[in-house]
Amino acid sequence: MSVIANSSLTALGVNRSARMSFPAQVAMLTSRSLTVMFRTPAAIIPTLIISWFFLVIYNASLGNASNFLPGLAGSSYLGFILPVSVVSAALSGAGIAGQSIVRDIASGYFDKLMLTPVSRAALLLGTIIAGAVILVIQTGSVVLLAILMGLAPKTGLLGILVTLGIALLLGVAFAGFTVGIALRTGNAGATQGASFLFFPLTFLTATFVPVTLLSGWIKTAAQFNPITYVLEAMRSLMNTGWQPDALLRGVGACVLLGVVTFTFALSSLRARTRRR
Amino acid sequence: MQSNREIVVQDLVKQYSGNVLAVKGISFHVKSGEIFGFLGPNGAGKSTTVAMLTTLILPTSGKATVGGYDVSTQAAEVRRIAGVALQEIGIDPLMKSMELLTLQGQIFGASKKQAAARAKELLELVKLADVTDRRVGKYSGGMRRRLDLALALVHEPDVLFLDEPTTGLDPASRRDVWEEVRRLNQRLGITIFLTTQYLEEADMLANRIAIINGGQIVAEGTPAELKGRMGTESINVTFANADDVEKAVRELSDMVQRTQVDRKTVRLYLNHAAQAVPAVVNRLQAAQLEMASLTLTQPTLDDVFLSVTGQRLEQAKDAEQAA
Repeated sequence: MSVIANSSLTALGVNRSARMSFPAQVAMLTSRSLTVMFRTPAAIIPTLIISWFFLVIYNASLGNASNFLPGLAGSSYLGFILPVSVVSAALSGAGIAGQSIVRDIASGYFDKLMLTPVSRAALLLGTIIAGAVILVIQTGSVVLLAILMGLAPKTGLLGILVTLGIALLLGVAFAGFTVGIALRTGNAGATQGASFLFFPLTFLTATFVPVTLLSGWIKTAAQFNPITYVLEAMRSLMNTGWQPDALLRGVGACVLLGVVTFTFALSSLRARTRRR
Repeated sequence: MQSNREIVVQDLVKQYSGNVLAVKGISFHVKSGEIFGFLGPNGAGKSTTVAMLTTLILPTSGKATVGGYDVSTQAAEVRRIAGVALQEIGIDPLMKSMELLTLQGQIFGASKKQAAARAKELLELVKLADVTDRRVGKYSGGMRRRLDLALALVHEPDVLFLDEPTTGLDPASRRDVWEEVRRLNQRLGITIFLTTQYLEEADMLANRIAIINGGQIVAEGTPAELKGRMGTESINVTFANADDVEKAVRELSDMVQRTQVDRKTVRLYLNHAAQAVPAVVNRLQAAQLEMASLTLTQPTLDDVFLSVTGQRLEQAKDAEQAA
């Protein structure tokens, strides 16, 4: 390694007080996260296949039975069940953000970044946005599959885009939760486990039948479950047409959930990066 | 203009939760441009000290400044002028060397182009320029260590912290790192704070050494000073016949400070050993004890360590591992 003596190191040429703007930091860290996420296809592909699988299975097994259900007869069951697959693809896609943070903590790279002047919030946002990009790819592919299966939404292409937009909102809100757990525990198992906790939420709701057909405790549970409103908003786009109230409730549920999970994520970030 | 590149530590204490006192009030002063060796066994408090000086953890009490900036209250300034290569190499195994170095440069305020140019140079510097297309997860231990060193240098630090930079490396890679550290120090004038559990490493590299044991500094000075102050020279005599060893010890007991017997060899510890050789030889000949060989040993840092801690560094390490 006797190179220094005869090599001339040029200066980095930075003003020591120079600082990258916050948006530039976010963009840079997002691109880094995406690069790394695409290098672990094993974390993406299985959840993708599961989402496709559920869409096909639900539609095949329940599609005909639905004709006998009041409120569903005559309308497309594919349009009714697709949002369930979209939501579960969004939730599992969001888990990637948490896994990515855990990986950085485990490799020690997180600590290394903590020794630089990087913005902690940009670090968090970069990971979440990268996770969101993956999530859009996942949910998009589910919708594409549905279209190949004959989906014809009442609101057309625009409705599909709005559906993906709502999925994105929900996913980002959920990513706040998985990232929060990741920062809190620094443990891959705990993060995966916590992501799994949200799985029941996709069933404690009007998963297979309209909410009007639910009764008893599950109906109560569904009313408090933000996913119920997300599903209803997406379903209205698929099978009914433009319904501002339903859309507003769906988006509102995501925003409300997001406020809670991002507060949690930020407090977890503070707890992890606080010097003791 | 030469910037302040000193490290000043005053009564630094770190108490972890559960009343574990990892660092028990240490003070030292590292001058600009110096290589300072922080020597001690595992668990002595070396890494805790580095963590405080590099702003990863807060001191419980006491004060420390790096380049004039207080590590407790001016963490951002310290991070800007300090380069850190921790014992646990913190690099993302999925990334490639150029990506890591460029990102690091940009974080410190360089444009993408500047950062990439700097990254290329640093890769040349640490001899990793030909493996840039490989993910760093596939690197060997020595390569990862060198990349980590390059990462610590991206922002042209004034002070470089190296926490056990050669632990776990093979002898060849270890010499590479030593060479590198020396050149960085000489060429760029970087102050280097280096922790190690290898006496040889501290002896080879450091201008000054502090020995830490049980969270306290037990000795400090240049390697020569330390050896001169605490170590003792010795004359080592090996006999053809093992029975002669005991007789020799009896014959010479009034001349030496202490003796140590190892099979056919006796180590005679005394001051001014070289001048005492003729007298020793005369006595042994008079007693008709046949010598097979005679050597002189200068004091080593190991002797220093023994005299200030009451145990050999190797034993301290073993005790640590047993615990």
